[in-house]
Amino acid sequence: MTTSTPAPASTPVLSSTPVLEAVDLVRRFGPVTAVDHVSLRIEPGQTFGLLGPNGAGKTTTISMICGLLSPDGGSVHVAGVPMAQEPLAAKRRLGLVPQDLAVYPEISARQNLTFFGRLQGLHGAELRTRVGEVLELVGLSDRAKEPSKKFSGGMKRRLNIGIGLLHHPDLLVLDEPTVGVDPQSRNAILESVEALAGQGMAVLYTTHYMEEAQRLCDRVAIVDDGRVQAEGTQDELIELTGGVDTIVLSGGGDVAAAEVSLRGIPVVQKVARDGNHLRLVVQNAPTAVAGVVRTVSDAGMNLSDVVIQRPDLESVFLHLTGKALRD
Amino acid sequence: MRSVVALAVLELRRFLADRLNLFFVLVLPMVLVVVLGLQSGGGGGTAQVALSGDAGTVAALEAELATIDLDTSRHAEAATVEELVSVGTADVGIVVRSAEPLQLDLVVADEQTAAGLGQLVRSAADRVTVARAQEDVLTGAGLSPEQAAAALDGAPDGWSAAGVEVGGTDPVMEEFAAMGRFEIGAGGQLLLFVFLNTLTAASAMINARRSGAIRRTMAAPITSTQAVAGLALGRFVIAVFQGAYIMVASSLLFDVRWGDLGAVLTVLALFGLVAAGVALVIGVVVDSDGLASGIGVGGGLILAALGGCMVPLEFFPEGLRTVAMATPHGWAYEALAEIQRRGGGVLDVLPQLGVLAAMAAAVLLAGGWLLRRSLGRAM
Ligand SMILES: Nc1ncnc2c1ncn2[C@@H]1O[C@H](COP(=O)(O)OP(=O)(O)O)[C@@H](O)[C@H]1O
Ligand SMILES: [Mg+2]
Repeated sequence: MTTSTPAPASTPVLSSTPVLEAVDLVRRFGPVTAVDHVSLRIEPGQTFGLLGPNGAGKTTTISMICGLLSPDGGSVHVAGVPMAQEPLAAKRRLGLVPQDLAVYPEISARQNLTFFGRLQGLHGAELRTRVGEVLELVGLSDRAKEPSKKFSGGMKRRLNIGIGLLHHPDLLVLDEPTVGVDPQSRNAILESVEALAGQGMAVLYTTHYMEEAQRLCDRVAIVDDGRVQAEGTQDELIELTGGVDTIVLSGGGDVAAAEVSLRGIPVVQKVARDGNHLRLVVQNAPTAVAGVVRTVSDAGMNLSDVVIQRPDLESVFLHLTGKALRD
Repeated sequence: MRSVVALAVLELRRFLADRLNLFFVLVLPMVLVVVLGLQSGGGGGTAQVALSGDAGTVAALEAELATIDLDTSRHAEAATVEELVSVGTADVGIVVRSAEPLQLDLVVADEQTAAGLGQLVRSAADRVTVARAQEDVLTGAGLSPEQAAAALDGAPDGWSAAGVEVGGTDPVMEEFAAMGRFEIGAGGQLLLFVFLNTLTAASAMINARRSGAIRRTMAAPITSTQAVAGLALGRFVIAVFQGAYIMVASSLLFDVRWGDLGAVLTVLALFGLVAAGVALVIGVVVDSDGLASGIGVGGGLILAALGGCMVPLEFFPEGLRTVAMATPHGWAYEALAEIQRRGGGVLDVLPQLGVLAAMAAAVLLAGGWLLRRSLGRAM
């Protein structure tokens, strides 16, 4: 098998090839169109999030990107190498961390790393060095010889990520790497992804946790029903909601009268009452909040709490699909 | 190539990590060898015939049996003979119920012996009966018993051959007679065992698919041909090791003769590849490892039975023999029979090796194709 070399190193940085260019990917399973014309472009060094609920088509998209599944339509280039024509060369540039704990439980952490390293073409001293480095990185050096089935969920997750990093891929693809781990391990995983991104590794991160995408990603594609609903930086996505904020007022007294008065002031776009809570949609909460508080107090409501919610990716998702991310 | 070896080493590691597998590879074959060796009377080699009854007739039978290389022993009581056969010290017993007219009981432990060795002993007894009848005719015509015996001894071999035909001694029987009881079954047992054990690879495959480890393996820069080659190579090493282990142990402990070692190992290797391919196909088509184990054990036993590993192929009716030749066991059995009994070498079993190689190629190709497809299937 020959390896084709990617674009020459002399290519100017500004016009560098994207590490991933997926165009119009389509994949059907019988009557279900799991992925429906999905296009993604990831630049070197970028952390790119694929945010969507379960069943949105994230794993199917990733399977096509990693050459595990042939698309019914569309194309994938990894660092300029076409997956369909040169699968081995393209796969060499990718590190996949699957959604499942994709390790061999019967053998040790070191043996797992060594095996997958060999498949990536590492050998000899280089392989041993890399395995040692990765064990250190994921904090498993002192447990390296134990069969990995004895590991806790968090340790397995870390090993799972470590295997994806072994061969210094151009693009690290992580498929929901924090599902089913305790908050502490989860934080450790997020920190290590941040560290990798900080070192300049491009990352494709799928999740259905809005906070994770928000914390990690430079750009986010929001997917639902196999389609990219919106794509951009977090600010760009939030723009889509029209930049509206939510203010939640809680308290006693004449809540009904307060609701009526609020409808009279122009900055308030929507008011909804839920028992002793009033939920308002306003154009710009920090400037609007003083007038709002004065109005409800004048109407006879005794405020106990005021919460301002800036829009987040969750609101974007809600805005785009009319659904909550986790339902 | 490195990837193929890495996968093969992985398969071996995973196999050896399970203590139960070690039991199947190292301990169980020994148990099998010992049990079968004991059945053969401890000595392997020549079959034992226990006799009791009228001394003259027993002597005549002993002389006949000696001509076909069977060991004999005499016992005073018919019950002793029956006991010896039932515990396996003797392979066949003959009890002379009455000398005049000649009446014999044949004592056998099981169907297989009745069909093979028993047949052989029966025809020896028939020869004695015929000789006795001839003697009677001659003495009836007025000769003294001594004169009659002398006349018969002087008769050309061909003259009494007509009587021998009655018993129907055929080449298969002669072959079997030359072997210990264990040896008759050993080839079949070896095949049955190696195939069954290799099929456990199916469960290992299913577990690796469920854990996602196979997806990750296939996301690495390897072709599915390399993946299949690696997986099969690992299993192949286990199969050959197992077979060789059984062969060495049985020949050291019980003098079982396997024939040309190179030829037997070649058969075993191709047969092991077929088994590895079948295991791969099951492992990527079936999603439940319980079901896969069931199919493995059930299918393994049925194929073994159809392929002559339980009852020798030679005793199959014509129709069933055709069915047998649809199984890898049938072809491997034939090849082993040629090597073990008729002193054949690799060249003598080329047709069988060819068929086994074709079967291996077919299942491995199918396995590779199904493996690729399985990546797109939810489990
Ligand atoms: N192998 C498959 N066979 C049939 N349907 C599938 C298969 N894989 C995924 N699907 C369906 O495709 C859709 C997308 O699934 P998936 O890509 O796993 O979503 P996600 O990873 O975002 O949770 C779902 O409706 C799922 O049921
Ligand atoms: Mg998924």
